[in-house]
Formats: sequence, C-alpha cells, structure tokens
Amino acid sequence: MSSTAKTAPNSDVLRPHAEVEFAHELAALRAFDTRPKPAQWQLSPHAVVIYLMGDTLPDGTVITPKYIGPRALIEVAVATLVTDRALLLLGLPGTAKTWVSEHLAAAISGDSTLLVQGTAGTAEEAIRYGWNYARLLAEGPSAAALVPSPVQRAMQQGSIVRIEELTRMPSDVQDALITVLSEKLLPIPELASQVQARPGFNLIATANNRDRGVNELSSALRRRFNTVVLPTPATAEEEVRIVTQRVAALARSLALPPVTSPADEIQRVVAVFRELRAGQSEDGRIKFKTPSGTMSTAEAISVMVQSMAMAAHLGDGTLRFSDLLAGIEATVVKDPVHDAVVWREYLDSLSIR
Amino acid sequence: MVPHNPTLAVYGIRHHGPGSARAVQRALATNPPDIVLIEGPPEADAIMWLAGEPDMQPPVTLLGYAPEHPERAVFFPFASFSPEWVALTWACGHQVPARFIDLALTHTLAPNPNGDESAARSLGFDRPIDPIGELASAAGYDDTERWWEDVVELRDGTSPFAAISSAMATLRAAYEPTGVPIDPVEQRREAQMRVGIRRAVADGFERIAVVCGAWHVPALQNALEPSGIQTVKADAALLRGMPKTEAAITWVPWSHRRLSSALGYGAGVSAPGWYHHLFIHPGSDTTARWFTDAARLLRNADYSASPADVVEATRLAHSLASLRGRPQPGLGEVNDAAKAVLGDGTDRPMQLIRNELVVGTLIGRVPAHTPMVPLARDLVIQQRRCRLKIQSVAHELELDLRKSTDLLRSRLLHRLSTIGVYWGRVVEGRRSAGTFRETWQMQWEPGLELKLIASSALGTTIYAAASESLTQAAQSAPTLETLTDLIELCLLADLPDALPGAVQLLAQRSTVNYDVVSLMDALPALARTVRYGDVRGTDADSLQSVIRSMVIRVSAGLVSACNALDDTAAAGLVNRLSATMSALSLLADPGSALLFHAAIGELVEHPGVHGLLQGRATRLLTDNGVLPTAQAELRFSRALSVGATPVEGANFVEGFLAGAGTILVHDLELLGLIDRWLATLDADTFTSVLPLLRRTFAVFETAERRQIGERIRHGMPDDGSQELSELDPDRVAAALQTVAALLGLSS
Repeated sequence: MSSTAKTAPNSDVLRPHAEVEFAHELAALRAFDTRPKPAQWQLSPHAVVIYLMGDTLPDGTVITPKYIGPRALIEVAVATLVTDRALLLLGLPGTAKTWVSEHLAAAISGDSTLLVQGTAGTAEEAIRYGWNYARLLAEGPSAAALVPSPVQRAMQQGSIVRIEELTRMPSDVQDALITVLSEKLLPIPELASQVQARPGFNLIATANNRDRGVNELSSALRRRFNTVVLPTPATAEEEVRIVTQRVAALARSLALPPVTSPADEIQRVVAVFRELRAGQSEDGRIKFKTPSGTMSTAEAISVMVQSMAMAAHLGDGTLRFSDLLAGIEATVVKDPVHDAVVWREYLDSLSIR
Repeated sequence: MVPHNPTLAVYGIRHHGPGSARAVQRALATNPPDIVLIEGPPEADAIMWLAGEPDMQPPVTLLGYAPEHPERAVFFPFASFSPEWVALTWACGHQVPARFIDLALTHTLAPNPNGDESAARSLGFDRPIDPIGELASAAGYDDTERWWEDVVELRDGTSPFAAISSAMATLRAAYEPTGVPIDPVEQRREAQMRVGIRRAVADGFERIAVVCGAWHVPALQNALEPSGIQTVKADAALLRGMPKTEAAITWVPWSHRRLSSALGYGAGVSAPGWYHHLFIHPGSDTTARWFTDAARLLRNADYSASPADVVEATRLAHSLASLRGRPQPGLGEVNDAAKAVLGDGTDRPMQLIRNELVVGTLIGRVPAHTPMVPLARDLVIQQRRCRLKIQSVAHELELDLRKSTDLLRSRLLHRLSTIGVYWGRVVEGRRSAGTFRETWQMQWEPGLELKLIASSALGTTIYAAASESLTQAAQSAPTLETLTDLIELCLLADLPDALPGAVQLLAQRSTVNYDVVSLMDALPALARTVRYGDVRGTDADSLQSVIRSMVIRVSAGLVSACNALDDTAAAGLVNRLSATMSALSLLADPGSALLFHAAIGELVEHPGVHGLLQGRATRLLTDNGVLPTAQAELRFSRALSVGATPVEGANFVEGFLAGAGTILVHDLELLGLIDRWLATLDADTFTSVLPLLRRTFAVFETAERRQIGERIRHGMPDDGSQELSELDPDRVAAALQTVAALLGLSS
C-alpha cells in the first residue's frame, strides 16, 4: 500500500504481480546477496528483509520500501518462514497484510501467484486437489485426472503459498491445512499416494483482527502458525502519507473529476480517525470512548474518496470539512446507541478544544 | 614492616550487568584476592557483613541518608546479578575482608556548596556523558544496552577486563584531554578510591581486587605507581576541605520493579527479571528455559502454551538472532519470538510476560537486626513537632482542626494510616472533613515499627511515603468509589503531590466507565471534598472539571440506566438520584445542575422508567424550582390516572413523597389527587397497592400522619392561604431578615 514504484513498462494488465513489477529490484538484490539461502529460496532472509523495508544497494539501485512500519515485525515474519511454522498475518483492514504477504512470496519464491482466497464458499478442493471429471469418468482415477490446488503445487515446487482471509473459510476447510502444515504431506487416498512437500514450502495466511470470530481457527491449526500483528500506522505523518497516496490512486482509477480540497483536510480526517481509534486526543490530554466499528486507515481512505466523489458529482466541486464530518459520522456510528454517545462526546470535546 | 610486593587487579564492570557479574565471579575464583575493594560508601563497611547472612536476599539496597534530613538520601541497589553483590558475597563466603572505597556519605550527603541539593543520586549512573554509548555507536550499534550485551554479557569464557580497560583508557583520553575528570565530584571520587587502594596496601594486603564501574578503571589501575596528577599528594589535596554532614546507612529490601528504570531511582536496569535469568542460567539452554518459564506463566493465567510452542519460540528466537547477526538471542529476539508464538496476536500475554518475567516480581529481604530506617527516624522528628507521645495504652485524642498543632497531628495520623501504620483510627466516622473536630482512637503496637520498615521503600519521609503509597493505591483502585475515597484521604492527609495524579486517574477512569450507578456513587464524596475540603486553588479547579465531566456522563446515560428496572434496582437508584442532586447543590455549579435537571426531566417523561424513579425525579425538580408546582401536580395526576397501572401509581407516590409527608399536609391539591385516586380503585386493586402505600406512609412522622388524617376527616378546606393571612407581616419580615443574614443574602 505504500509503493511508489512505477508500473512495469511492458505491462498491459491493470495490476502486474509483485515479482514482475519489482523484477529489477529482486535481480539487483540477488546479485549482491552473499549470505546463505535456505533451500529453494531466491534470496537470503537478510535480503528479503531489505526487499521489504527498502535500502540502497552498493551499485546505487534503490530498493523501494514495500512496508512502512516496524522492521522487527518483518524480521519476525521472515524468520518464521525459515522455521517450519507457517506465518499468520493479523491486522485491521488496510494495514498491508495482503501487500506484505504478496511481496514476501515474491521475494522468497519468486512467485506470488499461488493464492487461495478464503471466502465462506471456499471448498476443500481449493486446499487439497480437485478432479478433471471428464478424465475421471473416461480413465478412472489417475494422476492425470487430478487438478492440483495452489497448496499442492506449492508443496511440489517448494515455494510459498498464500491464503487470504483464512478466518472467512469454513472451519472444516481450514482444518484440511493441519496435515499439510504438520506432516508436510497431502494424502491422495483415491490414488493410494501422497504429495510430500519439498524444502522451501511454507504458507502465509492473512486474517482480519476484527473478523477473528467469524470462523475462529481451531487450536490445532493455530498451533501451526506464528502470529505477526501488523499495527495501524504509528505516527500521524506516516498515516497521512499513506492516505494521501491511496486517495490519489483511487481518485485516478475512479476517474473522479478534480476536486478542490484544502491541503490539510486529509490531516484533519486522519487526526479524527487516530483519536477515535486510540481513545484519546493526540496530545494525550483528553480520553474518549472508542466506537464499535473499525477506525482503520482504510476507513479514512474511503471517507475521503466518498466525500470527494460527492463533492465532484453532486456538490460544487469543493471538499468541505462539514461534508467530511458527515462521512466520518457514518463510519463511526455503527451501533446507534453506544456509538452515538461516543460521537457526541467526541464532538463536544472538539468544541472545547 | 615486612616489605611486600602487592598486586592490583581492577575489574571494570557495568552496574547490574549479569555478564560482568559472571566475569567477576570467574576472576575471583581463578585469582582469589586477600581483600576486595568495592565502589561504594565506606560507611557501609560496618554493616556489610549482613550481606553474608542467610536472611539477606537480594534485591536489596544500601540506603545512605542524613539522619537530620531523611529526604536527603542515596540508594545503592544490588540485585543477585550485580557484580558488586557477587564480589561482596564472595568476600563474605570466603572470610576475605571487603571494603567500600568511594567517597564517604558524610561528604556526598552534605549540602552542596553550589546549592545543588539533588537528592537520591545513584553514584556511577549519572555521568554527564555516555562512554559506553560512544563505544557502541563506534561498533555500529544504535542501542547501547544491546552492544554491551553482545560484547560482554553474552560472551562466554575469556575475561573481558583487559579489553574493557584499554577501551575505556582510549575513550577517556578522548573525553578528558587534560587527563582529569571534568566533573569535580568525579575527581574527588577517583582520588578517594586511589587512597582506599593505597590504604589496603599499607595494611599489608598482597592481592587486591577492585570492583568498580568500567569508566573508573583507567584512573585506578595505576594507583600503586602514581604519576602525573594522580600522586598521593595531589589526591590528598583534592580530598581536603569537603563539606560534611552526619550520615547513616542501612540495608533496605528492594524489588525488581524498583530496579527497573521505569520506576524511579534510575538504576538503568530495564529488564531485571531477564538479567536475573541470564545470570542464574548461563548455559546454552538460556532461551529454552526462558520460554519454559513464560509458557508456565501463561498456562497459569489460562492461556494455551504447549511444549511445542516453547520449541517453536526457541527456534524462532535463534533464527531471528542469526538474521540480525547476534551471537545469541537477546531480550529483543526473545520478546519478538514470544509475541509471534505465545502472544496469540494480542498484547495481554505479552504484558503478563513483561510484568512477571522481564521486570519480575522478586522482592528482597533483610535480616531482622538491620539498623533503623529513615522513615522511623522521620516519625520521631514529626512526633516531636506535633508533640505526640507514643503510648502503648489505648486512649482517645480529641483534635480541634482550627488549632495548628492539632491540624499537624491530624495530618500526621492520616499520613501514617495511608502507609498502613495505624497508630490511630478516626472513631466518629470518616466523613469529618467538613467539621473541625476529629476524634482518634490511639494505640501504638510494636508491629507498627515493622510496617514502617516495610514502607521504607516508598520514601524516606512519612510525607513522601504516604504520597507514593496513595499514588500506588489510586492506580490499583478497583472501583471509582475507592478512588474518590482516596482523593478525600489525600486532602485529609494533605498530600498535594499525590493529588494531581489521583485526580487525573479519576478523570480517566470515569471517562471509560459506562456504569452510571458507580459514577453517581462517586459524586457525593467528590462534591463534599470540593465544598468543604481545604483544597488548594489549582487542585480544586481540576477536581471541579472532573466532576463536571462526570455529571455530563451521568446525565447522558441516566435515562437508559433507569429504563426497565425491577423494584429492587429502582429502590437502589432512587436514593442515588437524591444524593446526586444534593451533591450538585453543594457544588454551586449552575451548568452541571442544569444538565442534571434536564436529564431528570427526561426521566419523568420517558415511558418505561420505574414509577419510584419518576416520582422522585418529579419531586426533585419541584423542590429545586425547576418544575412549577402546577406542572408537578399534572405529572402526579397523570401517574395516578387510568392509563397507568395502580402499582405504578403507588410507586410514583412513594418516590415523590420521599419518606416525608409534610408536603401532603401543606399541598392540599396533591392530597386531594391521592385521595380521589384511592377512591377510584376497586377492591382487588386496592388490596394490591395497599402494601406499597403502607410502606410509603409508615415512614412518616406520627405527627404528619395525624395531620394528614385530620385534613381528610374534616374534608378539604378549599383555601390553604388562610393560614398565611393570619401571619403578622412585621414579625415575618424580622424572621426573613435573620434567615437572609444566615444565608449571606443580606445587603
């Protein structure tokens, strides 16, 4: 979410894969990487951390920071993937979970395409294997009739597979991962065979902090994961930077007509979100109740974009803080009783200050 | 005297460094000295043998203080992993003499002629520059602790002392081009230590070991071959004419929490529990043992933490250490790994680990025959000031707070009870702040001296200890009400230093408190405090604003808190309504009162609120003149009309009358309403409301009941104003004048 790199020159796709977009960075890192690499890794763990956090290489190649935040978190994530535990990235929406997991896979395996999207409808085939039914009926069960899942392919290649929104999957589907993660094998009883993972295989799952209750991981599965919680941005400047970038990008892709907006509106929105999220004013003097809804950076972005769309299409083309306040109120007041009190108290405090 | 050839070994250490402690341990074992000299005040020589006692358990601290000014005190804390402690206990265990060779407390506690009276200086930690930080940044580390850990603490085997000594010599050459410490106190300290070394030689010792902060090594290692500015003569000149004062020293129990730099006396140890662990488990299984302890801690707190998790956490810590290029996992790696594997993605387990393991809960012990602490001395001084004698016989003490001595006494006794030294207890209720009289039940018990010693870690004077104790109690106060009681105590004991913190806590706690009832409970005590307490200007303001915000919250949540209650809950709330109202009338803050009135008004109109509460709310509004009597009668009649159930009506009546019938005696309209309502009830309904009405009327004064009965028996006189017309205007005017004067209204 914090990339500043230009799109790959030859691409005519909307959004190229990380390993394509940043191919030059990965190649440059490989050239300078002298540290030992774990089996099947394209880069050493040290170089993977540099790829994520950004640096300037001795030959002047600039590695853009992919993640803006604590270095220790990325170090723990990479160190986890070196051990045989899988990695679970937790965080609020908009804390760059997917982004980080994509770039980790790209840097470690050179391939970020092995992906399972977790939804309420994700079936076990997405994690184990499916069948080519025409072949199955014509030839009976055979290896040729098997349709491998991304997980199975990652095991065979010895690479990283990603699972998005793990906790949105039904619990029984989640638990299909247990054998894969603990035994590193995928039994195929129909063929009386199995797939054994090659070294280098590992799994990165992402899950939303707030959604943990949807399909909470079983403790058997949770034990196979190390958890890294990606925090909301630590400082207001950091968050303003992220919001500014994303709002500009979204406005471009939505082809919004230009909106005049005072430069500090983003700062004010970010300030309101940060204060309500933290439950206290930025200067630490006043304490608030926190609303029941999510107050993440992603919400701040959507408030900004929505208000800009309203100003552009329905208003006079000028973004005003009062419009933004209405947008923020809609985000804050999810529970009409509790949140209304929170919002009123917050507004009162604004008027006192 | 037999000529001898003494050898001198100077061990430069980091205070509270487990690696240094181990290195000292090894050095003493391989090269046993016949005397150990330690950086510390020589007054401690007399009591240092106590370190060898079985009852002495670190962490403990040497506490040096000026007996006449207990607030001027210095702490020298020792943990099991302090190199000085290792040297001291080694000496005690091997019957080898040990001496402290730093400047005497007599001088360091004396008021500085430059007027700098900074108390609680911990020697060795307050150097104006950070030498080790320089070395660390030269080695490319941004974290000093971590560098020292990697280079000294986490290495094993070879002795680091030669390397430390040469590194420090280079550093000091860079910092002190003249070869003399910049700080004059530092100059004298080093001169004093050299004198101590020479004295040991003069006393005939052969193998001398010195344990001191790494910084001092270059200044001490040549003490026996003095040259340049370090000559015997120059040192003697330096030490001449220092200020002097009376000084005393004793051992006091200390704790890992106190050692941690987060809590006062910056001893510079952020993770005593971790260091302790490093010190007692030096082997290759340090990390595994740490996670085993962490897992056990978490399991006891009902978190899942399996042996497999311990294995994973250990592996992750090691792979993190190698990713970061460190020889062994340090605290950073261990914490990151614990968070990823054991932390479950949440903060709670990590907080537990930080409090219980990283900082640790270890509390030290000192033998019973340790000399007296400054707190006990301060008590003696305070007693003299208030002219209070210690008596072991129980007796009563009457205090008139308008007299200054009595006020002092009261404050002292309140302060003592704050730290658990119950010399006296207030017998006539605790809420006597508004009056000027206090009665104390006094008795001194021997156990109280122990309490004094136990509290000595809180401070060196009773005032400081009481403030600290109150602050701690406020932080762990379970309910808002306890907190407000503490604030009241704070004023009674006159602890202005503890007050702002407690008030701020109150503000924070009341903000996140959704429970209107507990907020209402907290209000009366606060209102009393503001009204009657002798709060100093600024504090009253901050308390006022807290009260105002509490009133805002109570008002906002009042209706929902009063909604859909059963009889018991309503009965509980109704008195709180009145108490809050009277608290507000004490405050003389029209804004708050208006808010609360509005909330009560809403209560009256809101359907689903218990009749008892609606009745009382109506009454409160009427009494305060917010609701005209005519309006009140309207409400009354609505509550008693056919639409409402008779039980609700009876509840309303009970709430409205609030335990007194005077209003019925005088307001005939109301009486008539009730009378007519009763008459409309059919037999069954009458029976069902009878117990409620009986309960209402039974608490009235007999005279009131009789008057009400008479009124009803004689029919309703249609004009109540008759009585008023019989009054003599002149006499009424005289009475009114007096009342106005009493109220301060007369012009």
